[in-house]
Amino acid sequence: MNRRLALALLIVLCPELSWAYDIVLISGGPALRSHERFKVNTHDRYWGNFVDSTLARVKELRKEFGPDDKITWLVFRPGYIRRGLEEKQDYLKILEERGHLHGLTPIYFDDKDQLFTLLQRNGSPEKPLIARLEYYGHSNKKCWMFDYSNRVDGGAIETQVVHVDDLENISGSSFTPDAKCVSYGCHSGEEFSQRWRMIVGRPMVGAVGKTDYSAGGLPKLSEGKGGSWAY
Amino acid sequence: MGLLIGLALILVAADLAHPRPLPTLSAGNPGSLPEPSTNPTASTVVPTAATPEPEEDETVRKPIVEKVRRAALPAAHTPARHGDTSGSYLIGQRTLVEDYCGWGWVRKEGEGWNKGRWIAIEYDPEVCPVPHAFLPRPQDDKDYLYQLYGDFAPYRAYEPQADVWVEIFLIRGFLSLGPAKDTVRRDPPHHGSAKPNRFAERGANLR
Repeated sequence: MNRRLALALLIVLCPELSWAYDIVLISGGPALRSHERFKVNTHDRYWGNFVDSTLARVKELRKEFGPDDKITWLVFRPGYIRRGLEEKQDYLKILEERGHLHGLTPIYFDDKDQLFTLLQRNGSPEKPLIARLEYYGHSNKKCWMFDYSNRVDGGAIETQVVHVDDLENISGSSFTPDAKCVSYGCHSGEEFSQRWRMIVGRPMVGAVGKTDYSAGGLPKLSEGKGGSWAY
Repeated sequence: MGLLIGLALILVAADLAHPRPLPTLSAGNPGSLPEPSTNPTASTVVPTAATPEPEEDETVRKPIVEKVRRAALPAAHTPARHGDTSGSYLIGQRTLVEDYCGWGWVRKEGEGWNKGRWIAIEYDPEVCPVPHAFLPRPQDDKDYLYQLYGDFAPYRAYEPQADVWVEIFLIRGFLSLGPAKDTVRRDPPHHGSAKPNRFAERGANLR
């Protein structure tokens, strides 16, 4: 009884302990042009589609949120290393510099297990609950593909995708009760969003149809396919 | 009495501890959508009839110049042998399937293509590139035969059009055997579910 009372008093007196929350933005990696260059449906002419769109979103979030709100930027590292080797550029350095302009330091992950670990939260100041999660990267209706057409032509490595069958590794208790999630990948609204809501327990907005990053800024629904956003 | 005070404090604390409401996003952004319905099927929410004008600070990109240079040699100039060609090998026939992950078919020497396996090739450029890397275009060695040296990877590749897993071959060398007599008349796994007309109304299931 005393312990329960002490806990209640602690929460009342130090509300910031449980008010800490986090906005998580995830950037997937680009394809290799040596795989994609001659395809009819070619991808990622520009290496930084998912970096620029994420940072454009940060700019928008900064206007709406206070300067003390925490934004965590998770970046799939291997994709940028391999694309950089292909084009003889240090893209990690470039994206770090761009992030610095927005007051962000990327936190890298190399596979889905590391991402799941980064998404494990308990509400402590070190691991605040996630109030908002957004994904920028390749996807289809069943899968987030961080390394699409990078290590293998036209596909993604098993350990570097989050398939709907993997969603049990993401706990709903890592999110605030009113957390909002958005996937800016293609086709997520056709199945991934619904499975996310069923398994993770939070709504996720996703695209029905393709999303287009080619104009810069936030991705838009591709024209001509009657696309829409859906839960 | 003490119990009642404790309960009251917990209720107050729970109310205070509820996270601050997030601000709504600008119109047209998926974050500003209404709360989801309880209907288990996807609920279409925002039609996108018109593309908004770019905002003042929005990036509009210039055309991208391709930085990757490919070889300019004709197919006949593919190296006959490259990388480490010692040990056991598989016979591989390069097969192109539009919008489907993979390099082609492989089989053991002496077996028929009915026992062949569809593979994706993963390569280290410093060990051995894929054979078509020496050609102007990836499709230039279509239906060419190779002896492929390497091993199967312990992990698989995800094929996004058909939602299947494809075996990965880690190449360490190849020997070119020239054009095959015939194409392999066999679809890769579950290719039927990914054929263009299957999902024609919504286009290819990927970007």
